[in-house]
Amino acid sequence: MNRKQSSPRFRFAFAALLLSALLFLLPAVRSGDRRLYLLAALVPAFMLLCCTVLARLFSLDRMALTLALFLCSLGIAAFAPADPDAAVAQALRCIPGMAALLIGAVLMRSLSTSMLSAVSSAFLGLLMLSAKLLVPAFSVPLAEAGLALLLVSVASLLSGRGSGLALIPGFAALILLLTGGDITLAALWGLTFLLLIFAADGRFLVILSAFCVTVLLFFGYSRLFPSDFHPADTVSLNTLISAGWTGTDILPGELPSAAASLFPRLSLHFGLLFAGLTVLLFLPLSLRGVFIATSSRTRFHAVISMGVSLLPALQALAALLSVFGFLPLPEVCFPFLTSSLPDLCAELFMIGMLCGISARNEADLAEDAHLAMLAK
Amino acid sequence: MFSVTPELYATVSLVSRWLFVFIALLLLLFALLWQRAERRERKERFKNLPGAGTIGELLVLSGSDELPPDTWFPVPREGVLGSLRSCDLVIPCPGVSARHLDFSWQDGTGLLIRPHIGCKVLVDGTPVDRRSASEGVPLLHGSVLQVGTGVLRLQVFAALTPANQAFSQAVPPAPPVQETAFRMPPQGTVQYRDPVPPAWQAPPVPVVPPEMQQSPVPPVPVNAAPPAPLPQNPEMPPEKPARPKRADRWKEDWSE
Repeated sequence: MNRKQSSPRFRFAFAALLLSALLFLLPAVRSGDRRLYLLAALVPAFMLLCCTVLARLFSLDRMALTLALFLCSLGIAAFAPADPDAAVAQALRCIPGMAALLIGAVLMRSLSTSMLSAVSSAFLGLLMLSAKLLVPAFSVPLAEAGLALLLVSVASLLSGRGSGLALIPGFAALILLLTGGDITLAALWGLTFLLLIFAADGRFLVILSAFCVTVLLFFGYSRLFPSDFHPADTVSLNTLISAGWTGTDILPGELPSAAASLFPRLSLHFGLLFAGLTVLLFLPLSLRGVFIATSSRTRFHAVISMGVSLLPALQALAALLSVFGFLPLPEVCFPFLTSSLPDLCAELFMIGMLCGISARNEADLAEDAHLAMLAK
Repeated sequence: MFSVTPELYATVSLVSRWLFVFIALLLLLFALLWQRAERRERKERFKNLPGAGTIGELLVLSGSDELPPDTWFPVPREGVLGSLRSCDLVIPCPGVSARHLDFSWQDGTGLLIRPHIGCKVLVDGTPVDRRSASEGVPLLHGSVLQVGTGVLRLQVFAALTPANQAFSQAVPPAPPVQETAFRMPPQGTVQYRDPVPPAWQAPPVPVVPPEMQQSPVPPVPVNAAPPAPLPQNPEMPPEKPARPKRADRWKEDWSE
């Protein structure tokens, strides 16, 4: 890559590193807290290490990786001004998340469509979704991790066996999510699943029947449990605006009780303008996923990368609508802006899958070039 | 650790908050620019490799009104053939189902096909069903595939043919080149046979007319001295070696 082509990449990486350092330096200068200074140095250093050394070692897609890591650093920065201890804990949560990302990348480089991979990933995914039903005392949220595995299963079946078999794990996951009361994730999965069937199959009859079944399931659920469809108790738009477009310094005791999730915290501390712009960063991430999907050689990888780019994009949209109370659904966290370790690991695992598919595309293209040379 | 006075902090805070917004805006812009640059780069790569991602082509020998003969389709490594628009290979012929068969390329074997239930497929005139497909009936270079009323011939890229596959997998070391590796045989040891056709064979028809068979350029003697180098114009700068094109540089990088 020559200098002209690589300049947007370096500019983007430099801006991301600079911003992730400055976000910690501002509260550090105010309070003089040593932990915040440490975070201001370590978070960009970790990002730099991942985007250079690890990206080269594992042939990861740098754009998706940098964007995901920057969004993770925003999650840490959301805690920093009011609660440095929670910020350190959030930073520590990102380390296993990074390990999950690498596992996803390595797995996707070696995985191909087969009945064994479809059945095993469907079994594991459905087991994770039904964990809450099987053991009511089990409180670890494994739903997003289960959906990541089910995506592999659905992609494998859609590409290898047609949409008929793929409908089974898809609707099983939907029913399990609705039974567990996770209505928001069920809605996101249902929409993603329908769009994947539309993209991979395209038969009007199949799409219409899948759509009808999904609508019927949600209609039945709304009749049985009408109280579950209510807007989340979140910070109102007026409260967020009252903090100013560029945010304000809020002390730990002054935070509204509803601002438990990271996006309202980010909006209150750094302003609505900044938070809105960071939400817009999900757009290039999704575009990147679509770009990788269109460059994929196999239908299996194309469906997975499409699913991986659709799920966070829809989740971000739902979360944005949910924050302002426009969506009659319980509160949804933004992808990567969550304090739940399993959810963070699952989201980074999906980004790892995207990076693995991108690496595979590059390897395929290099092989094609080699074959073209041989043919000459 | 280091901290500033509240008055100074108020100023720093105001400036830095707007700076955050500005950098976030730049970040978004750079991300979109990066994506655009990568897309362009990929397009350029595909210009140099028009057959990238495909294994050859399917040439229509006979089809329908919508699919005239001599139409050709690039064949991806795997996909679905059918009459549906979302299929990887769309064959709009009578008798072709919406999704007629799945195909996948296997290195060293060929293009494996798996017809869907109730779909008739003929490979080189032999019917192939799901059971025989599971045993492996690959399409090779030149194989003729018949689906519905459509008859198609597979043409595989030269680099994917078994001979080149073997070559690419194990390239033997080249023998050392010696100056005396090629010697002319001594005179008289080789006997040349006059190309006299046998009696049953008709005399060959000359392609070139007799008046043009004599070469206008006299043959160069073997031991002739090499041509003298052209005198160089002292005013002209020496010719620089041409810089390889961008596309060639890519090829070199990939070959490495």
